[in-house]
Amino acid sequence: MSATVWMGYLIDHHEDFTVVQSPFVLDGVRVFGADSDATTLAVAALLHRLQHGEVESISVPEGMDGMSLSMATGVPLHSSESEDSPDWDVLMSDEATVVLARHEREVELTSMDVEVQVDAEFHHAMQQAWDQELSATHVSQGAYVSRAQYEEAGSSRLSLTGQVADKGLVWPPRFNHMVDGSNAPNRTLQRTGTVQTWTTLSAAGAPSEFSLRAPLLGGISTVLLQLDDGPKGVFLTVDDEDALFEMEAPMELVFRRLYAQEGFIRYGLKARTVYD
Amino acid sequence: MLRHSPNGMVDVAVVGAGQTKYGNHALGLKGMWAEAASKAFASIDGDFSPSTIDEAFIGSIAFGGSQLGNTAALLTEHSGMDGIAVRRVENACASSGFALRDAWMAIKSGQADVVVAGGIEKMNDLTPERKRYWLGVSGDTEWERLAGLTFPGTYALMARRYFHEFDSNHDDLVNVSVKNHLHGSMNPLAHIQKEVSFEKAAGGFMVADPLTLYDCCPTSDGASCVVLAADHVAKQLTDAPVWIRGSGAASDHLALHDRPSITQLKATQMASSRAYSMAGLEAKNIDMAEVHDCFTIAEVLATEDLGFAARGEGGKFARHQEGQLNHGNTTINASGGLKSKGHPLGATGTGQVVEVFKQLRGEVESGRQVRDAETALTHNVGGSGATCAVHVFGRDR
Repeated sequence: MSATVWMGYLIDHHEDFTVVQSPFVLDGVRVFGADSDATTLAVAALLHRLQHGEVESISVPEGMDGMSLSMATGVPLHSSESEDSPDWDVLMSDEATVVLARHEREVELTSMDVEVQVDAEFHHAMQQAWDQELSATHVSQGAYVSRAQYEEAGSSRLSLTGQVADKGLVWPPRFNHMVDGSNAPNRTLQRTGTVQTWTTLSAAGAPSEFSLRAPLLGGISTVLLQLDDGPKGVFLTVDDEDALFEMEAPMELVFRRLYAQEGFIRYGLKARTVYD
Repeated sequence: MLRHSPNGMVDVAVVGAGQTKYGNHALGLKGMWAEAASKAFASIDGDFSPSTIDEAFIGSIAFGGSQLGNTAALLTEHSGMDGIAVRRVENACASSGFALRDAWMAIKSGQADVVVAGGIEKMNDLTPERKRYWLGVSGDTEWERLAGLTFPGTYALMARRYFHEFDSNHDDLVNVSVKNHLHGSMNPLAHIQKEVSFEKAAGGFMVADPLTLYDCCPTSDGASCVVLAADHVAKQLTDAPVWIRGSGAASDHLALHDRPSITQLKATQMASSRAYSMAGLEAKNIDMAEVHDCFTIAEVLATEDLGFAARGEGGKFARHQEGQLNHGNTTINASGGLKSKGHPLGATGTGQVVEVFKQLRGEVESGRQVRDAETALTHNVGGSGATCAVHVFGRDR
């Protein structure tokens, strides 16, 4: 079947389930992209599903980062202590495919016709880099963002939750309201913006937390976006190896891996060019 | 007891200043500090003993983390300043600019007569990976670092935006690099003492597009030390004091994306406005300025923010080499600046004062002297502009 591209992935949407699949193929088998995994696919599936209605709760399989999934989508995880069934289940397949399905509904996997062939050497090197980065014994000299700090800002980083202030929307959020006593209700920003400036750092100039993967990508690229809702932000880009940017070009923000440290993946939003 | 000058407050002078050569230094922290302090003490014309120093403020990021705690106490015990109140001052690359301001305030307040301000950094004894970690610790870690930015990347974002908004391109940055290498080639204390051609600087290895290697300052080891004295003490120590006529400092959003504009540094504008106002001077009255050119685009922005060029005209200012030694109204970075003299982060601010002290006293090497220099300015920036200290100096009060 002809697939819909959504946040860089392939989507097959049905009333009772959504299939999301990596577009990348190696030797006839679907594989994850350079900064993707089952969690990033699940976030894309859930955000697509939320366009069509509410999702009250989800259950996630072992090995998936449910907390990041929940922070990125605002959908609570189903409590194992709850007597009720979860609203939806996230199911993982072997071939870089994730299915979001209503609880205990049957799912029919279809074959999607979009295939982007990946270079085997690049793919394996990237996999090895992630494995090494994820190793608990790997001590990176990277910037230290603790789990507590990651989670504190999780909803703003992963789902663009900002604050409504007198001067307009504020993102990333500030804590001034705790000092001045003002009311700062939250609002989720649109995941789109335009390029104000960009740079590509050489592998030698990239932060040390990217030192294993930046050489494989030929450097890393960062854009400063003016978000369509007003605030600005800086974001790594996806598909760095093919980076081409233009001033005022529209980009969308997608959920991807950033880097790993102490066996824990830090996820975030990355910028992706919006193609007509 | 507060002592009052005719205008109501004690005046503060630089009476001594010294620094190590910047670069790959054989000595460690203690040795580098002792060298800078001994040079500063030796530069004082009259009889001087370090035992007369009341307080010391020493700027450092403590790069590499080898001596994060009690840095100042460790250093001062190796320079004859036993028992006095000391502390490390940290504001990223502006650490010793703020150490100078704190020292100046200590005397202004009447609580001290003789105060040392200095700075130090040991940067070249680390592995490349550890060095890259420390070079990125002064931005907004949670947002900028997770977006892949260290400072070359941050300033590259500024440069590209500047080219987009104004009549400027990378050639203007190359001109800054060529000028500062020319000045640095004449400075025996500079890290990189060689000229670079326009063609070579234009074709350098791309570090962070559009910034090449020749747009980026080197990472340097070094220490600097200046001795400040209240007016009634200064006249006992020298007949040629260099007066601090104005001190201004300010802060701004740490993260670039939180600033309304990324082609100007608001902290520089505010700090310089305060310093000029205190000094009773304007940019046009400044004969020489040591500005914070950690990247060439930073000098272009600084020439505008400090008032030497109009908004959007910094590229043109560089293109016409208006900051070249004795070429325009104000010589910019006669020392070679951070680009050529080097940038031992915490030492840079007071290192700029060492240059000003020598220039205003006519003591620099032949060929590098700013002609008839009577007024000077130092501009020290932390990170991508979150902190800034500006000082205005004069041969006259």
